[in-house]
Amino acid sequence: MSGRRALDSGMRLEIDRIACDAYGTCAELLPEGIDLDEWGYPVMAPGNVPLHLLDHAKRAVDSCPVLAMRLVKAQAPALAPAPPPAPVLASRPDRTEGTPPWPPRPQSRAPKRSPEARRRR
Amino acid sequence: MTARLLAGQAPAAGAETLADHRARLGDLPGRAERSHLIKTLEAAGLLGRGGAGFPVARKWASVAGRAKGDAVVLANGAEGEPLSHKDRVLMTSRPHLVLDGLELAAEAVGARRAVLYVGSEHTGARDALEHALAERAATRSSTLPRVPITMANPPVSYVAGEESAAVHFVNAGDPRPTTVPPRPFEKGVGGKPTLVQNVESLAHAALIARYGDAWYREVGRATTPGTALVTVTGGKRPGVLEIDLGTTIGEVAQWAGVAAGDGSPVLLGGYFGGLVAGADAWNLPLDPAVLRASGTAFGAGVVAFMGDATCGVTTTARIMDYMAGSSAAQCGPCVFGLRAVADASARIATGQARGDDLTRLRGWSQSIAGRGACRLPDGTTGLLASSLRVYDADWSSHQHHRRCTVPRGVARATA
Repeated sequence: MSGRRALDSGMRLEIDRIACDAYGTCAELLPEGIDLDEWGYPVMAPGNVPLHLLDHAKRAVDSCPVLAMRLVKAQAPALAPAPPPAPVLASRPDRTEGTPPWPPRPQSRAPKRSPEARRRR
Repeated sequence: MTARLLAGQAPAAGAETLADHRARLGDLPGRAERSHLIKTLEAAGLLGRGGAGFPVARKWASVAGRAKGDAVVLANGAEGEPLSHKDRVLMTSRPHLVLDGLELAAEAVGARRAVLYVGSEHTGARDALEHALAERAATRSSTLPRVPITMANPPVSYVAGEESAAVHFVNAGDPRPTTVPPRPFEKGVGGKPTLVQNVESLAHAALIARYGDAWYREVGRATTPGTALVTVTGGKRPGVLEIDLGTTIGEVAQWAGVAAGDGSPVLLGGYFGGLVAGADAWNLPLDPAVLRASGTAFGAGVVAFMGDATCGVTTTARIMDYMAGSSAAQCGPCVFGLRAVADASARIATGQARGDDLTRLRGWSQSIAGRGACRLPDGTTGLLASSLRVYDADWSSHQHHRRCTVPRGVARATA
């Protein structure tokens, strides 16, 4: 599946950083596009949500206990080139540049995070 | 160096009276000429002086386009940047120029009220503006339509000057940023389209309204014309200076009495800006476009010479601690991220570094930006990243050998 050009949904995920309380539900439901930092707050992959993940993104939005996330129309829908096979977080020097590193959805569930990453404040 | 905002009596002499102000600059132009003020500002190429450098004309036009005669104009004189004094100097010495700009802006965007937003600790500026308002109320000869001007004084805080925080304070007494959108120009004070404009930008607009865009472009650079107020620290003669945009840092250093051979780094823009190595800095023009391209910022116009007796690590650690304390405690990545950055920096600076502190600091300098409602995390980690670059050897020495590399042996912080 990797190397295939991902279709762009034209939608972007937006987080209300003030409302966000690090429940981590979004990263659980959309691990391809959302990772959690060491304090449990979401780190978003740049770029638009690929079409094949749009339903999962909607579910992540709807499941946020504090309704801190929403899907908005991207202002300038950029054509997403083939995503590099890089992990979401490991090599991202600049969030505003580069290709959206949304990987294809894995067949199995993402591994559980360490207890430290899940620790609530 | 052309004196425009600070032409006339020395700023130290205190507030210019209304009579002196009128005698020196004359009255504002008539209504017909004022009706193209936004176009004139656009032709002048005036950029905002609060830190972000956004084109003034575009900001005014976006408020004017939304307002139906019920907009609000907020003159931003919060000046929470610890290294900056220029807004205070301007408000204290040229209050009528600021008020001219505020009233012109109110007319141009169709405002029904205006707010002077001045940090509560800036008592000199508050007194000067209040006295100036009283003077204007007593002798009114300008043809400008009168708009009620109120004073709002936020408590001392770095983030209180952020535009959504300013609106939040006027609306609800809470000087903390809010989630945008909606931005103030869409929905601000009282839910109305609100123009939040730095006091220096307003003062420039008041001069451009009188003398025109061609006059404004006579000095400065083609890309970024005009003059700007800068706050200089670290030399023998620190203070606020009006420069032609494009003046090099070396020329500013000469004015401030900084030894040319010093070669120590320079902090540009303030706590939101970045450090530049001395060798690269000397010929760098103070031009927002050039500075942005070279990875730093003009910001609020701070030029802080670090000096070679300053430990960059200790200074950075202090700034990080200040910024972590300045967090409005609303967004997780800022609350926890900046605190972690400040703690790790402090450990490294004081020779108590843990094994991976520097590595983690490098990681945080990239991973926290862009993840807050306001730009406090961005500005702070930007400064951190520049310090890690410019003081690379010092950070390593502190981390690995628990030793300061400053030749004098005594690390002291200036900024």
